[in-house]
Amino acid sequence: MVDPRMPSDPVVPSYAEGGSLARRLAAELWDHLWPWSRDGFRRHKALQAAGMALGLAASTMWVIAALGHLAAGAVIGAWFGWSVFEVLVRLGAKPYVKEGPWWGRRYRRAGPMDMLCYVGFKNLLIGASLFLLLKAAGMVVV
Amino acid sequence: MRNTACLLSLLLCAVLLGTSLAAHADSYEAALPPELSSAKRLCDYAPCTEVLPGATRFSERMGAPPYVEGYRGDGASARLVGYVMLSTDITDTPAYSGKPVVTLIGMDTAGRFTGVRILKHSEPILLLGIPESALIDFNRQYIGKFVGDNIEIGTSRPDEGVIGLDAITGATVTVVAQNQVMMTSGTAVAQQVGILEATPRPQARFADPAGTPDWDGLVADGAVQRLLVRRRAVGLEDDGEPFIELWFGALDHPRIGRAILGEHGYRSLHRQLGETDHAIFVIRSGGAESFKGSGFVRGGIFDRVQVRQGRDTFTFRDLDYQNLYDLKAAGAPAYRESAIFIIRGKGIFSNAYPWRLVFLGNRVDRATGERTFANFDREYWLPEAYLEGGRPVVERPDPTWLKIWKERAPAILGFVALLLATAAVYASRDRLVRRSTHKNKWPVNGFKYAIWVLSIGFVGFGLLAQPSITQVLTWFHSLLFQWQWELFLSDPFIFLFWVFIIVTVFVWGRGLFCGWLCPFGSLSELLFKLGRALGLKHLQRTPPKALHDRLKWLKYWIFFGLLAVSMIDMGLAEKLAEVEPFKTTFLIGLFERSWPYALFAASLLGLSIFVERPFCKYLCPLGAALAMPTTFRWFGLRRKQECDSCKACAKGCGSLAIDRDGRIDPRECLLCMDCMVLYYDDHGCPPLAQERRRRTRDGCDLTPIGADGYYIPIRPVPADGSRR
Ligand code: SF4
Ligand code: SF4
Repeated sequence: MVDPRMPSDPVVPSYAEGGSLARRLAAELWDHLWPWSRDGFRRHKALQAAGMALGLAASTMWVIAALGHLAAGAVIGAWFGWSVFEVLVRLGAKPYVKEGPWWGRRYRRAGPMDMLCYVGFKNLLIGASLFLLLKAAGMVVV
Repeated sequence: MRNTACLLSLLLCAVLLGTSLAAHADSYEAALPPELSSAKRLCDYAPCTEVLPGATRFSERMGAPPYVEGYRGDGASARLVGYVMLSTDITDTPAYSGKPVVTLIGMDTAGRFTGVRILKHSEPILLLGIPESALIDFNRQYIGKFVGDNIEIGTSRPDEGVIGLDAITGATVTVVAQNQVMMTSGTAVAQQVGILEATPRPQARFADPAGTPDWDGLVADGAVQRLLVRRRAVGLEDDGEPFIELWFGALDHPRIGRAILGEHGYRSLHRQLGETDHAIFVIRSGGAESFKGSGFVRGGIFDRVQVRQGRDTFTFRDLDYQNLYDLKAAGAPAYRESAIFIIRGKGIFSNAYPWRLVFLGNRVDRATGERTFANFDREYWLPEAYLEGGRPVVERPDPTWLKIWKERAPAILGFVALLLATAAVYASRDRLVRRSTHKNKWPVNGFKYAIWVLSIGFVGFGLLAQPSITQVLTWFHSLLFQWQWELFLSDPFIFLFWVFIIVTVFVWGRGLFCGWLCPFGSLSELLFKLGRALGLKHLQRTPPKALHDRLKWLKYWIFFGLLAVSMIDMGLAEKLAEVEPFKTTFLIGLFERSWPYALFAASLLGLSIFVERPFCKYLCPLGAALAMPTTFRWFGLRRKQECDSCKACAKGCGSLAIDRDGRIDPRECLLCMDCMVLYYDDHGCPPLAQERRRRTRDGCDLTPIGADGYYIPIRPVPADGSRR
């Protein structure tokens, strides 16, 4: 039976149940930063591996940017490319998003649009903060 | 079918682009000859005769900041008729686009403006929304006005000596910037040629606290200031080094003079200074750029540094320069270049008041390689303890944005009240929907319709405060490239609206803005309701849900398309954003706009009579941009388990936001509250009506309806009276 009180079926990620607040926050932070899951790996090995490679590339890009060798366009382009890939990876590995208040514990299955909104918004925040940080430090040129 | 949506959006973009490019624009991003900003003979490259009628011959650029003299006749009979200046030679004040409007200005020998000509601008609103002629008309208002008058945008206030200029509706920021450009440029030249007499300032009386400070002490006191220009500020690649780093301070103050020059050096300088002369020192501790300028010639002017105090500018000639060989203050930084400059103050300059050291440079546009004039400055004001009686009270003029806020205070208050009232009404939705029934929704709709009318009349047509996707794109850019609070604050209504939108989208979703407050959305739905009230119901159609579910993606594609284009070419993105009929509807007016735009907006509004909010459902990129974060709104609407099979709400949902399982798509929901009225309505909600009938039949009480949408259960109390 469908529960119409949620926009999609409820999902409970393992960390969402029980545990202290600090533990849950740490797990949630990890969840935002690490798109892969063991379960997802078992199911889509090739995709996950390619994703890992891309993740590494995106991280390296930020390091290179931090060393002052990248122009703004390249940083934005690479981050955008990675974000598209992250949507695909998460849809396979962690296909859920939070429902309701950010401090709550309700999660639901994510459709492609939900995931796009989640990754888009999250990466916009991460990207903008890192970008501004690098810009303030004079490491990236606009 | 998503491909169809994608294709349709591309097609739409192409059509819009076509019409946009067809729009005529003379000076939008016009290519100017590079010599314009550098050649000695400015008028060989600029239409000087147009702005200074009557002049037949023009001098070379002269003065600092530069201008040219215009003469009538030749030889001995030649008569000076006025001056011509290029605004970007004098000020780099940016307009709405963040770039200056390059303006050629003419002024006669009495200081009256004789002509204004825009050579180049980057204002998108003038390209597409408002005809360029509006800016030409605006500039025409200056002709005949005296440069020394207090000219402001807005109504004239003769008792305060303010001459008002009519603004261009919808382009306030552009004209406010343009006024600043006109007045700054005119004043700079009028002062040089003696049209404007500077007002003398009371001279400083120096206090001389005991002891001689070292360098750090001077810096800590604020008696020495630093002017730092980074390489990226002038469009160069950062390499860790600044473009230029200058330290400077007032040298005629005994405490500073002795610390920097030593007792002997200070006395000797003091002897050389005339009664109204002042001295400053400047050293360059970083950067390869010289502040004296490599092209400096004997008898010429130092064209890279000047001092400004209020409207007065003080430049330095070779006779105003002395060598500074040695800095006595312990701990002074190593420096590569140094100078003492004498300010010939003539009683106008005073150390008691703040002044600015200005470094004049060029900014290179990294995309086009074009150089534009840019200046960088740093304020200096002798510390309180260095002046007898402390610093005098200085009334600083309000920044432009603050002036706008003050001028529009009553309207701002009204607008804020409307926003707060709407939020309060929505926050009380539970009470309102409980008072309504599916047959009488007035407790909710009464408020909603009143808010719609206000949002259309007051917010849309009155304040022109229709939010637009272009603002989202501009922010995105500013966030990455150059954040200017000034720019956003200069339109108070849009600024406040966005604060409201951002907060409410995260709390309740985009529905509160889109469904209740968006001027265009409100107008669109009001037309639909009016159509129904006027007996057109039989002609009104709801798109089949399956088709709607495919077409709704179109708006997201449009949004993504605009975002992508804006990354490459902001100007083009602004043109494509004409997919929003907002400018045509509110800013310019259907009857003022060229026919392709008017037809587009009119068609959408016409269609709205027969289909509920077609633009919001399928085309609006702003709606799409707001729908995305709505995925994470905190508080959604209530549903009950039976909604999965009951179709009552879904049938009544004009936004087609309820799927066949009874789930609400928060991105599409416009919070009209119809389904919430039904939720508590024991005559309208089928499962609740069934329960009502059962209870009535069984003679049970009809208890109040709980938050879960059911009657509060009746629990039998045990015979012994104990509670369970
Ligand atoms: S979808 Fe667009 S036009 Fe419709 S209400 Fe929302 S912002 Fe306004
Ligand atoms: S009927 Fe309900 S789901 Fe549909 S738009 Fe109105 S509030 Fe949203």
